[in-house]
Amino acid sequence: MILEKAGIPAIPIITDAFEGAAREMAELWGVPEFRFIMMAHPLAYLGPDAIARRSDPLLDKVLQLLTRGQR
Amino acid sequence: MAVTQDPMAEVAGDVCIPISVAQQMEFCHERGWTDGLPVVPAIQELVDDMLEAARLEPDTVLAEMPSRNVAVTAAKAAINAVMAGCKPEYMPVVAAAVKALGTPEFGLHHVASGHSGAAVMVLVNGPIAKKLGINATKNVFGPGARANASIGRALRLVLLNCLRYRPDTADAATFGTPGKYTCCIAENEENHPWGPWHVERGFDAADSTVTLVAASTMTQIWTFGTAEQLLLAVADALSFIGSIAITSQTPGAAIFGGEHTELLRRDGWTKARIREFVLTKSGRTVAELRRSGRLDGPIVDGDGITMHHALREPEDLMVLCAGSPIGLLSMVLPGFGGSREAGRSPAIRIEAG
Repeated sequence: MILEKAGIPAIPIITDAFEGAAREMAELWGVPEFRFIMMAHPLAYLGPDAIARRSDPLLDKVLQLLTRGQR
Repeated sequence: MAVTQDPMAEVAGDVCIPISVAQQMEFCHERGWTDGLPVVPAIQELVDDMLEAARLEPDTVLAEMPSRNVAVTAAKAAINAVMAGCKPEYMPVVAAAVKALGTPEFGLHHVASGHSGAAVMVLVNGPIAKKLGINATKNVFGPGARANASIGRALRLVLLNCLRYRPDTADAATFGTPGKYTCCIAENEENHPWGPWHVERGFDAADSTVTLVAASTMTQIWTFGTAEQLLLAVADALSFIGSIAITSQTPGAAIFGGEHTELLRRDGWTKARIREFVLTKSGRTVAELRRSGRLDGPIVDGDGITMHHALREPEDLMVLCAGSPIGLLSMVLPGFGGSREAGRSPAIRIEAG
């Protein structure tokens, strides 16, 4: 959010367990409609292959945020 | 959030509420201002008494959390201190504790939002502890002492109400711990064998300080053997396979009860020697950690004898004295979570009112 406010494209990716916390943070910063990319929780015990399987499908959303920003 | 008993008050910022104390308490519950237990309604007179006792202006900023875009003022801290049941003379301690929350070393966001759901232990050092009746000895973590109960509670209410670390939003604790209601102790500085924590941190014995220590687990150990056997038990308590702290060697603490303190004193142990011994005896083999999934990778030759210690540096172990002079018990606080960059504040001077 701070990066976006500074005009730097940011790709916030969070796990779905933290959606409530992320929404609350967005409200605190005055951007309640801030867009996050959500992925399944948890990640902590996953190996590189499993993380890649979860993150590869997010690529389109990442590119969308990079090119269009928060619009 | 200051409330007035005058239902006709129209001053901007005041809230008109019923006069009955019972209704005022329900009012606070309904607005989500409590920790689940009833709070003392923060009428203006009580808030003013708090601020006066600590000689604080209401808009003095005690702590800033830039990442949450919020600052905790003296007025907000005072309101929560009233609600927690603090006496006005406790306010300087509460103020110092709030300042400690905002220090980079404490890493508040990690402590307060993490799954490990750590309690925030308020450690009070110096002469103010005796002056205010902050318990350092018998049943030190238990109920009964107003100062301990209300100071620790005030800090938690600040976390809930001002910094908004609430279970429905930023507090992602899986279980939490009863210590999240309140956790405040004084160190037992009577006849201390090694000098109390704040003196170790460079303060004068006549100064009073607050240090915050994050604690997601507290393990009570009971030993009746030699000093070495006691310290082996301390090392063991830091080293359980499921410890959230073990792989990243997050700093922890050992609080020696009275009988154990005397045992260590009698055998000539210094803080430095205690720390070195506990570190070298702590931990698990790399093989055990890989086998249990705490470390990645296959078990290779040598892993069965290579130790991964629970601490990285001897200074990672905070050494304190507290608890009853009776009972062969001490308390071990393994690191609160997986980060070495959070969990212990500097000692903050208490500016007496």
